[in-house]
This record gives sequence, structure tokens and C-alpha cells, in this order.
Amino acid sequence: MRALTPRKLLLTCAALAGVLLLLVFFSLKFGTRSISLPDLASLLYHTALGQTDRVSSDFRLIVLEIRWPRILLAIIVGASLSVAGASFQALLRNPLADPYVLGVSSGAALGSILSLIWFAELPGATPFGAFAGAVAATAAVYFLGRRGGELDSYALLLGGIITASFLSALIMFLMTTISGRELRGMAFWLMGDLSTPSPVAPGWLFLVLVAGVGAIYTTAADLNLLLGGEQEAMHLGVDVVRVKLVVYLSASVLTGLAVSVSGAIGYVGLMVPHLVRLLFGSDYRLLIPATALGGAIAVVLADTLARTLFAPTELPVGAMTALVGAPVFIYLLRRRMA
Amino acid sequence: MKTNHTRIWTAIGWMLLAALPGRAQAAPATPPAPAPPPAPTMLPPVAPSRPGGTAETLVEFHDDLGRLVRLPAAPQRIVSLAPSLTETVFALDLGDRLAGVSDFCDYPPEALTRPRVGGPINPNLEQIVSLHPDVVLATRAMNRRESVEALERLGIPVYATDARTVDDVIASTRRLGRVLGAQARGESLAADMEQRLSGLARRLAGRPARRVFFVVWLDPIISTGPHTFLADALRRAGAKSVVTAPQDWPQISIEEVLRQNPDYLVFSGAHPDDPQSSINSLQRRPGWSSLQAVRENHFAVVSDALDRPAPRMLDAIEDLARQLHPDAFPTAPAPNPDPSRRAPGNRRGGRL
Repeated sequence: MRALTPRKLLLTCAALAGVLLLLVFFSLKFGTRSISLPDLASLLYHTALGQTDRVSSDFRLIVLEIRWPRILLAIIVGASLSVAGASFQALLRNPLADPYVLGVSSGAALGSILSLIWFAELPGATPFGAFAGAVAATAAVYFLGRRGGELDSYALLLGGIITASFLSALIMFLMTTISGRELRGMAFWLMGDLSTPSPVAPGWLFLVLVAGVGAIYTTAADLNLLLGGEQEAMHLGVDVVRVKLVVYLSASVLTGLAVSVSGAIGYVGLMVPHLVRLLFGSDYRLLIPATALGGAIAVVLADTLARTLFAPTELPVGAMTALVGAPVFIYLLRRRMA
Repeated sequence: MKTNHTRIWTAIGWMLLAALPGRAQAAPATPPAPAPPPAPTMLPPVAPSRPGGTAETLVEFHDDLGRLVRLPAAPQRIVSLAPSLTETVFALDLGDRLAGVSDFCDYPPEALTRPRVGGPINPNLEQIVSLHPDVVLATRAMNRRESVEALERLGIPVYATDARTVDDVIASTRRLGRVLGAQARGESLAADMEQRLSGLARRLAGRPARRVFFVVWLDPIISTGPHTFLADALRRAGAKSVVTAPQDWPQISIEEVLRQNPDYLVFSGAHPDDPQSSINSLQRRPGWSSLQAVRENHFAVVSDALDRPAPRMLDAIEDLARQLHPDAFPTAPAPNPDPSRRAPGNRRGGRL
């Protein structure tokens, strides 16, 4: 492994951020109603100067009120899921770990169903219920995953899988015995959906994202050592107990954040970290910021395709991430092995 | 070294954060959920100016969910998010004003020529905004609250209906006529439906309801529970579903179907031939083949309008009543010019 220089870190992140910005620009342009580049440029220019009266109200509504919040949501969800995935892969030392492996998404699903049953009339019942469910599942798996007072990777993995299947059974039970009209829409939402605007302002979601990713980043150097084995890391002076706790909690919060605003968008948390590793190496000090940007790129791209390919009908973004992600992943993996 | 990275990353984070537009930080503009009044009432129009209200004359209505909706009198551009609403708008002779319909809106055929705005569950907001609707029509059974809230936040009035019974459909049609500036047509549609229903009730008076099993799906067996619109439509056609499960769309075992031993099996489809392959397969299926209704060919096939809370439901209800109670319609010729609409078993009539 080549040494990571600040220069390489900065250049990689700048390049990825550039790709993301370009993608955001094109995502603002494309949609059911295509907007010409000069129109979009003038819209953004006048909006930046605060001259909203010089902008066609149609374009303003479509670009700034519909597309922009959705792109922000895609960025937040993509970055959260990808960093959570990279973290769980290090924490569990399992390349197949993804943000949902520890039962977080099942907990979120159960939480949103229960909130629809009990608080159907409250606005935003689904996302808040989902977040509460994600937190509850995280706590349950945490206690299942403790052995001798500290988190044990294997106990955590098994506890997560068992919790996930138990919660899924509860969900099936509720869905078949209770006939709420809203449950049908929820099944759609759980497949992964960014078309529903979040009831929470994106700024707050962004703060949670930055806090979660920042917390995980403080352990980046330790995660590198942890990948070589817990005993070895401990001998090298890593506070393994603290690192595991910080990473587990932060990654769970990030997953809960993503699931509560977008349902369960699959594959992003699994594939983006692996792609970034294949492209830029597996030093966590670079991997975490690069994965955050890469995840944002992946989900913005997938959502742009999902809402434009068969417009005006939209595909679930979760289907798109898998459709696009799997072939790219296989190609890179085979090229790497060749 | 580590602190360097942290600092860089923090800087990137703050740069991204600063790139957020100011309004993104503002409190969410979620409208509070209105508590539905005990009975959905409607306010008289505030400014009933005629004719062809301009954008300036706004009127206020309470919709079926008790939400206060402010929209132009006689809206000229209507977007419908559900098949039943599209049918109702056409029935109100306002089809010309439909600027957009959902992907599922397939009746009348003219509806297929209207711009599509996506599925009822995932309508495309951009497309709806581009169509500049005066009002968007939604229905609680098919659309999501989140879509309604998102449209409201974009400043588009949404009028929601919630018809759960046949009587609800009549009241809802009447109200929709007033909301859309076609009050007279709404009244006559509603009166016509009421008249046909009472005529049907008179014909069927004194006849015991047929015990039917409505087949929503065959693999697995899904039927309808007692609280759906469909169950009420069946009742009006002189039928009673044998299903007692409280869920709306319960999965039923073949054992339970055999135990209930229904008089008729009822199928529906957009086209009368759609359920034929299912019906033909029943003779060979274990369990089903020994069912009395199957052995006696007691199948009823109706249009899928039976499950659409729109004026056309009356055709389907009358059609089903004729199939289940042929002796109640001794002289009347079949209203449907197409004799192939009838499933093979129906001409054999009932078992009175």
C-alpha cells in the first residue's frame, strides 16, 4: 500500500467533488421537463443573486423546489449509506457487511408501520417512526452483540441477522393481519424512494451526516489497524473497545438517517465502499471521505436515471442502484483480478 | 498527519454546508394535519361568480377528508391521480379539462390520450407542475398523503375524495360536480345513480342474497373483506361475500372456500375474457373442482368498474345483479349489446 499523502487525499476528494458538482448540475437539467443549459444557467445565476422575479416561476418551481431538495436528499442518503457500509465492513471484518445487515432497516420498517398504525394522522409519521425503529433495533443488536462487556464482531453479526429476520417476521405478521390503507404506500416507500420530500429540513439531515461521518473519521487510522485483527490492533495501542463503540453507534445513526428519509435503498452501502477501495486503495483515512462523495455520486446518478428513463413514470431508486451498480461492480472486480 | 486530514475533511464538510441555500435551513413547511370534522361538510362557494371563473375568483371547499381547499371557481385545468376520479370527471362532461391523468387511468378510452403524470402512488411532481393544474384530484384509497402534502407545498390545490361505500360515491360525485363547476351535471348523475339503485333494490326485494366468493387473485387465493368498497358494491347487486376475515384483502385457504360453499364465484376484469383462463383452470384444480359452484358452472364475470368508486360502477352492479338473479329481470333485454360479456355458465341461470 502506498503511503497516503495529504496531497493525494485532497486531490482525490477534489476530483470526486468535481464529479459530484457536475452530476448535480446535469441532474438539475434533466427530468420529465428538460431545461436548456442557458435557461438553467440563467436560473441559477439569478437565483444566486436573489433576483427571483427574473426567473420563470415554472422553472423555479421545478428546479429549485422539486429537483434541488431531491438531489440534496440523494447526496445525504448516498453518503450516509456508503460510509455506514464501509464502517460496518471494517467493524465486522466482513466484506459482505452492509448498513442493513445489523437489522437497522428492519427496525426502521417496523417503526414506520407501527407509527402508521398508531399515529397515522400526524404528518411525517413514517420518517420519525422509521428513525425510532432504527435506533431501537440498533440498541437491541448492541446488547446481543456484547460478550464479556465489549462488542464482539461475531456476536454482533449473528445478533444483527437474527434481529433482522425476527423483525421481518413481525412486519409480515402486521401487514397481513392489519388492513390499513396507508400500508400499501408504505410497501412502496420501503423499496427505496426519494420522491417523497423529507419533512425535516435538509440542513438538519446534513448536520447529522457531517457529525456521523466526522465521528467515524476520527477513528480512520485505528480502523486501518483493526482490519489486521483486534489482537494486533490492541498491541499497536488502539483502544479497540472505544473505536468499535464509536463506529457502531455512528454508522447506525447514519443508516437510521438514510432509511428514515428514503426507505431501504439497497446495494449502495455494499458496493460503493468496494468500488472506492478498488479505485483508490483501502486506507480508511482516504476511504471514508472518498466513500461519502462516491456514495453521493452513486445515488444522485441512480435517482436521476430513475426519474428520467421512463418519465413521467418513476422507477424505484433502489431498483436503479442495483441495476446500475451490479454490472459496474462486476466489471471492476474482474478487471482487478485479471 | 491525522489532524491534517481531519481539518481538510471538516473544511470540505463546511463548504458543502455553506452551499445549501438559506431556505433549506428554514423550518419545514409541513401543514398541520386537519382534524376531520365529524361529518364531511362542504362550505358554500365564497364567491359564486359565473360563468367560467377566472383565476381571481377563488372558492373554498372542504374535501372528503375535511381539508379546506381553495381553488378557482370552475377550474379549467384538472389533473386526476386515480382511475375512479378520471372516470368521474369524464362523466361530469369535463373530460376536456383533464390536463393530466395517472398511469392507471384507462377509461374512457379518451383518457389514454391525456398526458400521464405517473402512478397513483408515485406521481411525478415535475410533470404535474408543468401542466399548470388549477386543481389536482386525489383519492384516499389510492394516493399517498405524502404526495398530497408535497403538491400543497408547491402551491397546487389538491381536492381529496374518500368514497368507501356506494352511497359515498354518489355524495362524492355530487360534491365533485360543485367543486369543478358542473353542479347541474353532478346533480343529475347522482340522481340517476340513486334512481337506478332504488330500482335495483325494488327488483331484488325479498330475494335472499346470493352467497358469493369474489376472486381478487387465485394464486394465492385473495378475496375481499367486509369493509371494502367492493363488498358494498356486491351487497347492492344482491350478493353477500362469504368471507368473514376482517382484513380488506385477506388471503383465504381453499379449505375455507369449500367450508363456506358459495353459490357463485365472481370474477372481474378490464375485459370480460380476462378471467376466462382462471375459470377454465378451476375444473382441474384439486379442491376447486369439487366446489359446487364450479361443478354447476356458477361463475359471474363483471367489469372491473365494480371496484372503481365512480359512476360507471352502476353498470357493473346491474350487470352482476342480472347474472346472479336472472329471474328478477324477466322482460328486460340485456343492457349490454355484446353477448360475449356473459361467462359461459350464466345463461343457465340461478338455482331458484
